[in-house]
Amino acid sequence: MSANDKQNMLFPTNEDTVGPYFPIYFRDERLEDLTSIHPGLIVAPEGKHIILRGRVLDRHGDLANGVVMEFWQANAKGVYRTPAHADNPDLDPWFNGYGRLRSKAGEYSFRTIFPGSSKGRAPNITLTIFSDGINRVVTQVFFEDAEGNDTDSLLSSLSEEDKPKLIARHDGRTADGAEVYLLDIIMAGDQETPFFDDLVS
Amino acid sequence: MTMTLQGRLLEVGPTDNTSDQRTPRKRLRLIPQAARESFVPYIPQQAVTRQGENDLTRIAPGAPRAQGTPIEVSGRVCTQTGQPVRHALLEIWNANMFGRYTHIEDHSGIQLDPNFLGLGRVTTDDEGRYTFWTISPGAYLARPDIGRYRPKHIHISLSGGSSRLITQMYFPGEENNATDPMATLMGDAFERNVGQVYETPHIDVHHGYRFDIVVGGRNATFFED
Repeated sequence: MSANDKQNMLFPTNEDTVGPYFPIYFRDERLEDLTSIHPGLIVAPEGKHIILRGRVLDRHGDLANGVVMEFWQANAKGVYRTPAHADNPDLDPWFNGYGRLRSKAGEYSFRTIFPGSSKGRAPNITLTIFSDGINRVVTQVFFEDAEGNDTDSLLSSLSEEDKPKLIARHDGRTADGAEVYLLDIIMAGDQETPFFDDLVS
Repeated sequence: MTMTLQGRLLEVGPTDNTSDQRTPRKRLRLIPQAARESFVPYIPQQAVTRQGENDLTRIAPGAPRAQGTPIEVSGRVCTQTGQPVRHALLEIWNANMFGRYTHIEDHSGIQLDPNFLGLGRVTTDDEGRYTFWTISPGAYLARPDIGRYRPKHIHISLSGGSSRLITQMYFPGEENNATDPMATLMGDAFERNVGQVYETPHIDVHHGYRFDIVVGGRNATFFED
């Protein structure tokens, strides 16, 4: 983009807080469990089932009620469903990679497939959080003992103290065969989760 | 002069307790270039809208009109380069004329309207345009202890492709606009979030508000660069 184009760019509408009352009416269970494209169908995405679970906490350690969480990830073969990969033969026809849930109390549980590694990155899920009192914030979640964590470009950009704050801890397997990963998100305070700037960078 | 690029330091909304509790205090981190593309969620088109969901003034087509002033809100959604955001989903919610949400967690006790849910959905057309009808919402007392009101506003959540924006449309000339925590943080840019009145002589609403939405940031145009 040339400097001239930048001068002609329109001013963006301001982001604003989602407030406390994001309507439960807009809930879509298909976006809370990506291991199934729709209940009742025999077709389903490839991959190992996982549950990413945890709490969203405020700076006092209290649960952050009413948060809206959005998830974005590659499929089991490490391919994202974007226009850049529209012709990729490794796209999974049953997997979009976009999930969303609203947590009433601040606890969350998201069922999906374990993301493949993409372009040398460690397996990860991009997490967007909307909440009362703040605008959209984003980060990425990684998985304990996953291949590539030690060389991942994003994890490597963090201090040794901050890295574990984005790595979900493995906590066994559910009766129906999903590997459980735990990660608490801490919005603010001493143990604050690292968040990233997708406007400036 | 050289300047080192830094992520933003977010600001806490004044007099907003939740903002104080939840606003990250550390400067946002920069995304390394090798990881940048993975930070662009691409939301597929979703066939979720139902007939009549663009008319919030009634609970269902043919049902009675809700109390208050029926208004139209319309506009065009585009990126900062002016490209229309086509077939994007707008999820809309607002309080009734008394300032009450129908949300099960709104325990304010303010009067409900049996003919108003305050929930709607609409998708943008091939040119990025949208239109919906609703009831002009009431302002409500957000901080009784200090007498601070939330000004009249309509929540809009927009998702389509790599465009993602949650925002609010405010109303022109409302005195409570000046003390709203998030509006205060917007400064002069607040004007962009205020709908502009137009007349609606031939349709069954009192008047309209033009609210054009420009989705900012690199994500919205990431796959066009």
